[in-house]
Amino acid sequence: MELDAISQPELEQLERIANADLAIGILDGVCQAEGSNALAVTREALMELSQPRAPLRVMVVCNNGTHGPTSPESEVPGDNHTTPAVSFCSLPLPGPGETPQQTISNVYRRVFAVGGKLGVRACAVIASRPQTVTRGWIHRLVHPVVDLGFDLVTPCYTRNKMEGLLNRSILSPLHRALYGQQVQNPMGPDFGLSGKLLQQVLGQDPVRRRVERNALALLASAAACGGFQVCESHLGVRTQRPTDWENLSSLLAEILGSTFLEMEERAVHWQSIRGSKPLPGFGLPDAPSPDASTVDVHGMIESFQLGTQNLQDIWSLVLPPTTLLELRRLARLPQDQFRLPDPLWVRIVYDFALGHRLRTISRDHLLRSLTPLYLGWIASYSLEMQTAGLAEVDSRTERLSKAYEDNKSYLVSRWRWPDRFNP
Amino acid sequence: MWDEVEQALNQSMTRMLSQIASLLPGILALMTALLVSAVVAWALSAILRRSLTRFDFDRRVAQGGFPALAEWSPSSSPTILVTRAIAAIVMFIGFLIGISAFDGTLPSQFVIRLFAYLPNVMAAIVVLVVGSIGARFLARSVLIGAVNMNLQYARLLSVGAKWLVTVLAVTIAIEQLGIGGGIIRLAFGILFGGIVLALALAVGLGSKELVSRSLERETSKASASNMREPVGHL
Repeated sequence: MELDAISQPELEQLERIANADLAIGILDGVCQAEGSNALAVTREALMELSQPRAPLRVMVVCNNGTHGPTSPESEVPGDNHTTPAVSFCSLPLPGPGETPQQTISNVYRRVFAVGGKLGVRACAVIASRPQTVTRGWIHRLVHPVVDLGFDLVTPCYTRNKMEGLLNRSILSPLHRALYGQQVQNPMGPDFGLSGKLLQQVLGQDPVRRRVERNALALLASAAACGGFQVCESHLGVRTQRPTDWENLSSLLAEILGSTFLEMEERAVHWQSIRGSKPLPGFGLPDAPSPDASTVDVHGMIESFQLGTQNLQDIWSLVLPPTTLLELRRLARLPQDQFRLPDPLWVRIVYDFALGHRLRTISRDHLLRSLTPLYLGWIASYSLEMQTAGLAEVDSRTERLSKAYEDNKSYLVSRWRWPDRFNP
Repeated sequence: MWDEVEQALNQSMTRMLSQIASLLPGILALMTALLVSAVVAWALSAILRRSLTRFDFDRRVAQGGFPALAEWSPSSSPTILVTRAIAAIVMFIGFLIGISAFDGTLPSQFVIRLFAYLPNVMAAIVVLVVGSIGARFLARSVLIGAVNMNLQYARLLSVGAKWLVTVLAVTIAIEQLGIGGGIIRLAFGILFGGIVLALALAVGLGSKELVSRSLERETSKASASNMREPVGHL
C-alpha cells in the first residue's frame, strides 16, 4: 500500500516537501460542485479548525480537473496563522474496466501512500459523488481527529429507507456483531483517520496486504481491533450512484469478498467480543426528504424463486439443510406474505462467510450466488417498510442488528468446528 | 502301412501330451500367481479402505474441489474407486508374473508395448480431469450468471455448457487413445453441433424476455432520468 502507489517524479517532489500535517483526498472535483477548486475548498474547510502556532501544512490529493502524472505543486503558504499552506498532488487516471469501488480503493491507497511519506497527523478522503459534498464534509471528517484526538471518523449519511441497503442488511450489523461497535457505514466511503491509525494500516505485514484490494474494508476493523478511538460524523445527504442491477452480483462479490477476507484475518479478535456499544457522534442528523418512491418487488421475489429452484446444489455446499428447507418454504409464499425472517437471513450471511473461509467452492461463485437471497431480503424489507416512517425504519434496522448479535454464537461455533457443528 | 499310421499317431499323441504336460506347470504357476495376487489385492485394498475411511477421504476429496470424482466412483465413494483401482493394478501385475511362467519373451513384449502406450493413456487422463473440472466450473458460472440475469432457462444453459466441454474432453481423450478413429470424429461433430444448436435455440427463444426487459429499462431510464433511484446498496 505504500510507495508503489506513487510515481518516481512525485516521490522526489514529496521528498522535497518533506512533511505535512494533513493529507486530504478528494475523488471527484468537489471543486466543480462549489464553483471553486479543491485547494481553495480545502483551505476554507480547514480555516475553522482550532489553530496551532504555525499554519497547517496540507497536501490535497485530487484530480482537480486533470488526472495524470503532474508532480506535486505547492501554493503560496498562508500569510498568517489561520491560513493553511496547501499543496497539491494528482490522482491516477481510473483504469479501463475499473469498478467504482476499485477507483475509491485506489484513491485511498494513494492518499495513504502520500500521507505515510509525509508523516501526516491526520488524513481524510472524500469519495462520495460531488453534487452533495460541501466543505463542511472535510471539516467534519478532520475536526474530530485533529482537535479531539479520535483516530477514525466514520460517516453517517441522511438516507431514505431504501438507500444503503447492503449496509443495512449486512455490512453495518455484521461489523457491529463482530467488533462490538455500532458503525452505520463501516465501508465509508468517506473517512477521516489519524496518523497513528494510518501508520498501523501502512505497517501491516505482507500477508495482510492482500486485503489491500479494497482499502475501505480494513479501516473500521483495524481501528476496532487495534483499540483506536472511533467516532461518527453526520455528513448529510449523499447522492446515490444509480443502481446497476445487471452488475449487482459483481458489487456483492467485491464488497463482501473484502469484508469476509477481513473477517477471516481478524477471527482471533472478534470471537471473544460480545454485545456492542454506540459510538460518539458529531454533527446533527438531517431529516431525509419525503420518500414517495415505490419499489417493484415482483422482480426481486421472482429472482429469489428462480435462485431457490436452480441454486440449491450450490447453496447446499454452504447452507445447512434446515436453512434450505426454510428457503424452499419461503419461495412458495404469495408475494404479500413474503417475509425473510431476521434469524434466517443472519444465519445465511454467517454461513456464506464460513463458506468463503473454507473455500468450499470458488469464492467468486459463492458470493455471486448470494444475489437472489439478497434480492429476497430487499423484497421482504421493502414489503415490511412500505408505509413505515423514519422511526420504524430505525427500529427495524436495530432489530436486525440485534439478530446478528444474538446469532453470533452460531457463527463462532461453526467457525471453530465447521464439521462438528452443522445444524 | 497300418503300422506306419499307428506309429505316426502314437508319435503325434506323445508330442501333444508332452506339450500339454510342459504347459501344466505354467498354467499352475499362472493360477497360483493370480490366486496370490488376488489375496494380496484383497488385503491391500482392505487396509487402504480402512485407512482412507479413517482419513475421511470422501469428504476431503469433495471439499478439495473434486466432487466429480464422487460422481464417477462406484457407490459415489472415491475411497472405493481408489481401493478397486489398486486391487486391479495388483491383479494385473500378478497376471504378468503368471504369463511370464509360460514364455519369458511374451510379457516383456507386452510390457514394452504397454509402456509405449502409457503416454497416450496419461494424456487422456489429464484431458479428462481438466475437462471435468473445466466443465463443472463453467457450468456453475453459467448457472449463477443466468439466474442473476433472471433467465428462466438457466439450468438448461448450464447443462448445455457442461456437456459441450465434457463431450470435447472425452473426444480428445478417445482420440489420444487411438480408439474409434473416424466414427468418433463423426459422432463428436454430430453431438457438438446438436448441443450448440439446442443452446442457440434456447438462448434465441429465451433472450426475447431479456431484450424486452433491457428495452423497458432503457425506456424507463430515459423517461425518468431526473428521478431519484429508489434503491441504493451502499
